[in-house]
Amino acid sequence: MSVLLRLMLKEEYRMHAHYSSRRMFLAFPVIVGVFSFGIGVTSQRLLEVTPLADAILSFHLSAFLYGLGVGAFGFLGAQYLERRHGDRNYIVAMPALLPMSFRRTFLGMYVRDALFYIALVLVPMTLGLTASVPVTGFRLTSIGFLFLAALLSFLLGMSLSFFVSTLYIRSRIAFGVAVALISAAFAAYALFRLIPVESILPGLAMHYGLPPFAPPGEAALVAGLAGAGLIAACVAGALLVVPDQYEPRSSPAREELPRVDARLGLARSYRILLAKEFVDLKRSGTVAKMFFSFVTPLIFLSFTVWFVRYGLRAPVGFNSVFYAGMVGFFGVLLYNWLTNVDAIDYYATLPVGVPTVIRSKLPAFLVLTTGISTVFVVGVSALNGDLRLLWLALPVMFITSVYMVVMTAYLTGLRTNSFLFDPGVLARFSVLAMLPDLGLTILSFTVDRDPVFTIAGISLVLAVLAAATLTLYRGIEGKWGHASFTE
Amino acid sequence: MKAIVARGLRKRYGSVTALEGVDLEVESGEFFGLFGPNGAGKTTLLRILTGQLAPTAGSARVLGIDPAKEPLKVKAAIGIVPEVESPPSYLTAAEYLYFVGRVREVPKLAEAIDRWIAFFDLEETRGTICRDLSKGTRQKLMLAAAFLHGPDLLFLDEPFINLDPIYQRRLKDYLLGYGAAGHTVFMCSHLLEIAEKLCDRVAVIDGGRVIAQGSVAEVRREEKDLESAFLRLVGERR
Repeated sequence: MSVLLRLMLKEEYRMHAHYSSRRMFLAFPVIVGVFSFGIGVTSQRLLEVTPLADAILSFHLSAFLYGLGVGAFGFLGAQYLERRHGDRNYIVAMPALLPMSFRRTFLGMYVRDALFYIALVLVPMTLGLTASVPVTGFRLTSIGFLFLAALLSFLLGMSLSFFVSTLYIRSRIAFGVAVALISAAFAAYALFRLIPVESILPGLAMHYGLPPFAPPGEAALVAGLAGAGLIAACVAGALLVVPDQYEPRSSPAREELPRVDARLGLARSYRILLAKEFVDLKRSGTVAKMFFSFVTPLIFLSFTVWFVRYGLRAPVGFNSVFYAGMVGFFGVLLYNWLTNVDAIDYYATLPVGVPTVIRSKLPAFLVLTTGISTVFVVGVSALNGDLRLLWLALPVMFITSVYMVVMTAYLTGLRTNSFLFDPGVLARFSVLAMLPDLGLTILSFTVDRDPVFTIAGISLVLAVLAAATLTLYRGIEGKWGHASFTE
Repeated sequence: MKAIVARGLRKRYGSVTALEGVDLEVESGEFFGLFGPNGAGKTTLLRILTGQLAPTAGSARVLGIDPAKEPLKVKAAIGIVPEVESPPSYLTAAEYLYFVGRVREVPKLAEAIDRWIAFFDLEETRGTICRDLSKGTRQKLMLAAAFLHGPDLLFLDEPFINLDPIYQRRLKDYLLGYGAAGHTVFMCSHLLEIAEKLCDRVAVIDGGRVIAQGSVAEVRREEKDLESAFLRLVGERR
């Protein structure tokens, strides 16, 4: 097992270093540490508006949800095992060829990722808080307890996700029942207050039984042991469920490409390519992934706003126009997904150029994002009682979205993931993305002080962005006209 | 008339030279075979001739079109079966043929799809998404996609790979008829026994250079078959 684990850790490190770069990858824990230090230093102010118990609850929920998010090895492993073409393969698929069991490789994946996330997130976070001790006066024992309790919540999320996702390999009904039960437990707490949240999150129960909430005692020990037991049970359950032989699921499909093609008359020469995009997105499940990858930064944005408002007490007037600009900025994440649905080698045999395929993805992006972006901006405006600026916010959102996606498409073509890790492309992307976004953000803050100036300024920025969008769109042909689908 | 002409083709990938001064001519209606050991440059040459790759130096003409300057025009005129059978994962077999037919603007598309589905016995799998097809079925689908628009020139990279003997025979018969009808085939293969029966002319490539070219008899010389000739030609250079 130790050899397998060592190789899997190497594989994971190389994969991440390939996606970004060694330096970028190693910078990640440093960033987490610095962020954690910042939270520590401003914690007094944060705790004035958010009681410690609530902050700890949010922290444990976040750790648990993070664990849930990264522990779905049933899905991840299945994806690797079903990878039948493409140029990458992973150790987890080796039992198909070697005398070793899938149980072993799945356990290896779990342990590997637990170690990875502890080293990359939990340890740097703890070190960041420890570094803030001279300023905050936190007790080291409290920080130690925080680490242990957070570890418990994180591992519980990961283990539960591991177990439930492996159920999916065996039976979708069992998977549905498990998801319903977990959702019911959280609904019993969140909606009806029928059960205390500590009974779902033993890590939180343990934390509430430790300093600074209470002197260490039996309650914390029992909660800790219960948490460890649950984690072990979930991991054992998952390993029991993992099949000895993996048989990929066959997916019969109705013939729907001609029907979708027929409906897209307006797309003219892009019609069949666009129809294929929609069918691909639906069958590959990418729409759900896109939804979460769009919503996650929006949640992060909301958290940052909360932190700036209450933690830093910065007198910043966040409004609908600010959110609209940010939503447009996040559109790049969705374009990235559109270029990652499937391999594109087969296009090389057809009389279609790279620019045509790039351009066919743009309407797909618009159809997929316009609705959700509009709902978010209108929703945030309504929640903040800021509907008066909606008339300005919606054009900002729409034009920045289109600009961002066309600019990303122009710079990165059909290999956004790879090109955004090229320092040269990244530098140009940063300048082209940050400058207008910064301009819009600053202007949005001045809307109440000088509305005429703000509206004129925003109109000017939007006009420049619209012109830039058109220029970049036209430039796609020249930049990618000689690019190959296979090189 | 020459279907394919290559003059001094050279291709470099960084410090690696994949092709070095390749000269080649294929007449219209000819069945041409390109052979070589692994990494010799066969696929690179095929990809340059089909407009998938630009050469570092040299020039080519395929059906009178420069594939480096007008790759889409070349691809519209020819059919290509690539080395790796990789139809799009999330389309069904029938949908993939529909997609190819729409891109190529094939007239009477439904009939053409049915013809090739029937030819390769793909009825049972026409509603299965390509990700779930076996390698052999995916290969049949790639062949069907290349034949769908009835091109005058076919580029085939290992077309027999993954096919069982029944479909190897069926494909061989089809290609013989296709050649007899005056169409041109350019094929890369390691299956020299099959190739020997099909090809009018062949070339052997090694280390990015064409080391022999001519009719099967000219290349075979005194050897009993093409395989022995190939082993001699390539072995001499090892």
